[in-house]
Amino acid sequence: MTTRRGQPALPLDFNLPRDWREIQGRDGRTYLQFTTHMVTFYEQTYGEHSRFFMALRGGRLIGSKCTTCAQVMVPAATWHCPNCNFAEMREVELPHRGILAHTAPVTVFPSASFIGDAPFARGYVDVATDAPIASYLPSRLRTTTGLERPGIFVKGIELKLVFEDERVGSIRDIFWVPMTEIPPPLRNKQPLLASELNFASPVPPEVKKDPAKAAAKDRAMAAMRKLASDVERSRRAQADLANRAFVLGIKTGGGDFALDVANSRLLIREGLPDKSDFILVADDPDVFRAWVNDGSLTDAAVEGSLWLPNKEAFQVLPALDRLPRSTRRDLREAK
Amino acid sequence: MRKVGIVGAGITDCRGRWIEATYWDLFQQATRRACEDAKITTAEIDSVVYGIYNDIFEHQAIPESSLTGLIGMANKPGTRVTSGGATGFYAMRTAVMEVASGTSDCVLCVGGEKATDCFDPRSKTATPMVIDTIAKSWDPFFEYPLGATASDSYMQLCMAYNDEHPGDIGDPLVRAKIVEILCHSGNRNPYAQRRDETVTAEQVMTSRWIIAPFLRLLEVCMYTEGAGAVLFASEKKAREISERSGQPIVWVRGIGAANESYSPGRGGNYKRLHRIDSDRIASERAYAAAGVKPSDIRIVELHDAFVAQLMITMGELGFVPVGRTRTLIDEGLMVDPKSLRDDQPPPSGKLLVNPSGGLIFGGHFVGGSNMFSTWSCRREMTKRKVPLGMVHGTGAINAVFGGAMILELDERSAR
Ligand SMILES: [Zn+2]
Repeated sequence: MTTRRGQPALPLDFNLPRDWREIQGRDGRTYLQFTTHMVTFYEQTYGEHSRFFMALRGGRLIGSKCTTCAQVMVPAATWHCPNCNFAEMREVELPHRGILAHTAPVTVFPSASFIGDAPFARGYVDVATDAPIASYLPSRLRTTTGLERPGIFVKGIELKLVFEDERVGSIRDIFWVPMTEIPPPLRNKQPLLASELNFASPVPPEVKKDPAKAAAKDRAMAAMRKLASDVERSRRAQADLANRAFVLGIKTGGGDFALDVANSRLLIREGLPDKSDFILVADDPDVFRAWVNDGSLTDAAVEGSLWLPNKEAFQVLPALDRLPRSTRRDLREAK
Repeated sequence: MRKVGIVGAGITDCRGRWIEATYWDLFQQATRRACEDAKITTAEIDSVVYGIYNDIFEHQAIPESSLTGLIGMANKPGTRVTSGGATGFYAMRTAVMEVASGTSDCVLCVGGEKATDCFDPRSKTATPMVIDTIAKSWDPFFEYPLGATASDSYMQLCMAYNDEHPGDIGDPLVRAKIVEILCHSGNRNPYAQRRDETVTAEQVMTSRWIIAPFLRLLEVCMYTEGAGAVLFASEKKAREISERSGQPIVWVRGIGAANESYSPGRGGNYKRLHRIDSDRIASERAYAAAGVKPSDIRIVELHDAFVAQLMITMGELGFVPVGRTRTLIDEGLMVDPKSLRDDQPPPSGKLLVNPSGGLIFGGHFVGGSNMFSTWSCRREMTKRKVPLGMVHGTGAINAVFGGAMILELDERSAR
């Protein structure tokens, strides 16, 4: 979901042509359906929340603190304490560090408005840690180590608040990054801007080489070569790859290889390619054998057993995931 | 407060999509079946409570208005209830209160949903649009813009629970075995959406991830189009109807409800993420009202949005210890319907959980899902001569809405 100014509130391709169409019911009869919509536009006031979002625009994080019980609400959802007979709450400046309140989920299948953003992580951050009672801030969570995946955003880790360089007054103006990923000189900087961190070229994880993994890699190579040759004889699989061209360099604990898609064909080569679109890392090469045996590279990425540098790399996986099923169906029909 | 009994119930076929009917016809089907079940005409019904969760799905801002005449409720009082996933529960609570207070002698409670007419123009499928519509349950300021969905809302509860109690809901085999049992139940429900499916534990554990590490595709509830209706009556009216219909009365013995704060946090009245306190408080209230304890109950129809949440809810309802909900499987507390005859009660100390197949195999037409559960609980209690059962509902962001209703088979019929 974009937060840039000037773009249409509803993306232009988020639409359907007017249509009245006959469709068949389960009872074999013909029914009629039509395309329509239920869209409302808003010029929505932030009202009492305006102070919170104005503060974000200014690179500050504020909450509301009760003058009676000292509880802190962040975001400042109200200025009258619901626990103290609506006693006055006053603005309080909050630190740019917090604790992740619970292990956070990573969303892979988002709703229609967020397709293209996935995978992404969101969770609740305990910011007003000094307050006896405090709400948690619903937050975007990001890592500089590649794609958001399980194992990073676990309960209790310390987080650093980061501000987008261009801020509009949205909860998406901010996000949190594990403190361990922040270079020490930047840890106390307020506000820390997104442009001061490197999200564009994450360092791939190290793999541990060993002979068992080398043998596993050989098995994976054999399985993938078989798949590649099946693709040559499968119209469905060729359709899956149509109009796609990319080179993946893949590092594993059993050795490296390249996966090349062009002209509706799949090519498997030993070693890392000179030029690749993405470098993927899997300590266990068996990830690729499992893929060929009706597994899924998407699932491996979701689990974290396959490392991806960014969301663009994630987008190439669904087409690859369709290949084993497509080839199997075509070859079975050919028999 | 007057005694309130269930005298009839009816549901539609549960389908992923009803091309053959709009929600007008679905609500009418459910109403018609409930009336047939109770052998009454709509003339005997004093008022109606509608459970409709969401105007966007129905594509009408006052959807109940177009239903009134079509379901025979013209010129009678009608109240619409909407409370997220717990809409059905709260609609029934409203209907029960209406009878208990003496305002009406016979109340129709009908709920349903037409969810999958929604269509996402970019993916050319319904699902992302359905998810987006449900995501509008979050506020537009703080939560919705982050991309919150119902799945990861429930999953963050499950993850928080797992932080506190590792090795309980986190065991994929335990969850998969629960799915297998739910599948067997779904196979036995002639209206279930997935009544013809066979799903094994092995298939569950290799199905596609929705959210790692707790939620695979085969652990998730469905979107269903359909409707369900339940008829509530005063003691006098219920006895009169029961005599006519030959159907035993199922009494509402106790109801409890609780909604937690929207915001999670530390201390005070904030939502505790690792618990579903709404379920706990609601069920404690229901037990107190009914004067029974969890061990008295043999059949539970609970709102299972996801299997891991089913486990936590079973803990919160007091059937298994919170933190050791896996005893459902480890100690065989959750009985497989395959091991029972259709007229046999679960053995002592065991529980029949979601004999309808639940929301995962049976059906989940949001505004009426809890009526679907009530329809099933009553059916199973009657068939198996089980004296006490429970219906549970949950809903809203982070499962903050909760409700529980304890049902009792009329003792004259229980013998
Ligand atoms: Zn206070």
